[in-house]
Amino acid sequence: MKQIVLLMLTAWVLAACSTVQPWEKDLLAKPSMALVADKLDNALDEHIYFSKEASLGGQGVGGGGCGCN
Amino acid sequence: MQLKDKHNKTKSIREKLALATCALLQTAGSTAQAGDEWEIDSALMIYSENDSRVTAIEPIVSARKEMGEDKFFGVKLVLDALTGATPNGAHASGTAQTFTRPSGNGSYTVAAGENPLDDTFHDTRVALSADWEQPILDDMSRIIVGGNLSKEFDYRSLGVSATFLRDFNNRNTTFSAALGVNADTISPVGDVPTPFANMMVAGSGTNRDKASESKTITDLMFGVTQVIDRKTLMQFNLGLSSSSGYMNDPYKVLTVVDATGTRLAPVGNDLPYVYENRPDSRSRQTFYWKTVHHLNEDVINLAYRYHTDDWDINSHTIDLNYRYELNGGAYLQPHIRYYTQSAAEFFTHNILDTQVGVAQYASADYRLGELTTTTIGLKYALPFKGNQELSMRAESIVQSYSKVDSAVGTLAGDAGSQDIVPDLGAFVIQVGYSFYW
Amino acid sequence: MKKLFIFITFCLLMNSAAIKAESVKVPDFKLPTATGEITPAQFKGKVLYVDFWASWCKPCKQSFPWLNQLQQQYKDQGLVVIAINLDKERALADKFLQIIPANFIVAFDPEGNSASSFKVKGMPSSYLIDRDGNVQGRHTGFREKDIARLEQSVAKLLQQ
Repeated sequence: MKQIVLLMLTAWVLAACSTVQPWEKDLLAKPSMALVADKLDNALDEHIYFSKEASLGGQGVGGGGCGCN
Repeated sequence: MQLKDKHNKTKSIREKLALATCALLQTAGSTAQAGDEWEIDSALMIYSENDSRVTAIEPIVSARKEMGEDKFFGVKLVLDALTGATPNGAHASGTAQTFTRPSGNGSYTVAAGENPLDDTFHDTRVALSADWEQPILDDMSRIIVGGNLSKEFDYRSLGVSATFLRDFNNRNTTFSAALGVNADTISPVGDVPTPFANMMVAGSGTNRDKASESKTITDLMFGVTQVIDRKTLMQFNLGLSSSSGYMNDPYKVLTVVDATGTRLAPVGNDLPYVYENRPDSRSRQTFYWKTVHHLNEDVINLAYRYHTDDWDINSHTIDLNYRYELNGGAYLQPHIRYYTQSAAEFFTHNILDTQVGVAQYASADYRLGELTTTTIGLKYALPFKGNQELSMRAESIVQSYSKVDSAVGTLAGDAGSQDIVPDLGAFVIQVGYSFYW
Repeated sequence: MKKLFIFITFCLLMNSAAIKAESVKVPDFKLPTATGEITPAQFKGKVLYVDFWASWCKPCKQSFPWLNQLQQQYKDQGLVVIAINLDKERALADKFLQIIPANFIVAFDPEGNSASSFKVKGMPSSYLIDRDGNVQGRHTGFREKDIARLEQSVAKLLQQ
C-alpha cells in the first residue's frame, strides 16, 4: 500500500510540473486517445474475464454482478 | 535516419493495407456531429469454448446523447444467451462418475478420465444500465450517477454508483472519487445447498433447502488522470472493494477422497461429492495503471492491474492494444492480454473425507485456483459516410491451470494421475456498428 | 518525504502563477492570414474580439456561426473579429473553414506564441479589446448560456 501511495505521489509530481497548454491538446482530443476508446469491447471483455477469473475491477465502480461467478 | 526509414516502410504497408481493404468505400475526413443526435454503438459477440463447453451469444447496444450543455445521458442494454456445459467442481477419475442434476431430478454420467461438466446450463441474462453526467459546483467538476440491473433466471443484481471528477492544473490533471453499491440475490435451481452436505442420488432428496441467498458489494475508487505531455495520458486508480453475504457457487461440489486419493464409494443415498463453502466476506484492493500514448500516427494503450484480497488471491493483468492507423480513419488493432493469479487459500482440487466437517472453507472452483489467461486478438475498424463505423474483432483465449497442493485435499493416487486441469481454449468473434441517429 | 512535498508545492505554485496576471495592453502579435499579415496596431480605433480556436475543438465549431453573426451585426459600429487558429497543421484549419466558412479575419499561429502571450486557459478563448488597445475582458469556452453575456459586453464596449 505504501508503494502505491508513493506511486500516486509521483504521478502528482508529474502533474504539477507538466504543462501541456490548452491549444496543444489536438492529439489528446482524438477519440483514439480516450482512456477507453472501445467502450463496448471493454464492457464485453470485462464480463468474459469476470466469469473466468477471480479478479475484477480496477477501471471504475459499478457495472453489475451476474450469476456467472 | 533509422527512424525515418522505418517510418517510410510502415507507411507503404499501411497504404497497401488500406488500399486492399477500403478502396470501395469513400470516407469523409471530418466528422461534424451535432449534439442533438444519439451516438449509438452496437455489437454482436459470440464467445465459444472448445470441447462443447460454454457458448455465449451476446448482443449489446449503447446509446448516448448530450441533453443540454455538458449534460449527458447514456443507456446500455446487453443480452447474454448461454448454452453448454460448465465444470461442476469434481475432478476426473479413472472410473466413471454419476452426478445428480442441481434440480435433484435426473443424473448425468461422466466417463473415466473425463472432467465432469454439468451440461444443464441454459441461461439468458438481460442487463440494463444507465448513467447521467453533468457539471457540478463549477466548470471544473463533473458528476456521473448510474444504475444497473441484471437479471437471469437464478440471479438478480441491482446497483447504483456515483463518480465525482475534478479537473486541475489547466485541465492536465483529473482527480476522481467513486462509490458503488451492488445488491445481488441468487435463487439457485433446486435451492441453496447446505455447505459440505453430500450431493444425493437423484430423486432421493437434495440437501438443498433455502430458496435464495444474497450478497452486497461496496466499491470505492480513487483515481488520478494525468496529461504527461502532448502525446501521453496516464491514469492511476486505487480501488477498494468489500463483499459480504453468500459467495458460494451453489452448483459446485468437491470430490471426497481418502488419504490414498481414492474417491469414496456412495453411502446410501450420499454420493462422494460435497457442496463447497466460501467465506461470507471478501475484501479486495486493486491498483490500476494505464497509459495511452500517441506515436506518429498510431496509438498504444497499455494497462496493468494488480489485485489482492483477503482470500489470498493476488493477480497481475497486463493489457496492450496497438492501434495501427490505416488510411481514411480505418485501423487495425492487435490486442494482447496476460493474466496470472494465485489460488485462494481455501482452494483445493478435492477434499479428504477426514476434512469434511472439519475444514471451514473449501472450493474446487477452477476460477479460484492458480491460473493464467493469455489472450491475443485483432480488431479491424472501418469508418464510412463520415460518422459511421463498422468493426470486426477476433480473439483467442487460452486458460491454463496449475495443480495446487492443499491442506484439505490430496493429489495422491487417482486425482494425481488424471489430467484434472486441462487447458481451456475459447474464441471470441465480434462485429460492431456505430452510428449517429 | 518533506522535500518531496516542498517540490510539489513549488511546482503547483509555478503553474498557478503562470496563469494569474492579466496584461492590460493587448499583447502584440504578427500573424499571417489568407490575405497578408496582421498586427493589433493596424486596428487602432476599432473594438477587437480576438478568438483562439482549433479545428479539433468542438465548442469552436459551435462558436463560428455566432462569430459570423456578431461580425455582421456590429461591423458598422467598429467591431473586428480576429480568430487565431492554433492548429499545428494549416491543412486541418483549411478543411474546417471549408465546412464552416468564416466571414471574419482568420489568422494562423501554428506555434501558439500568441496564445502563450494571451495566456489562453482553454479552447476556445476570447478577448475583448477596446478602441485604445486595452484588454477589457476574457472568456474561456463557448456555451449557449454565455452568448447573451458575451454579446452584451461587446455592445457595451462599442458604445464607450
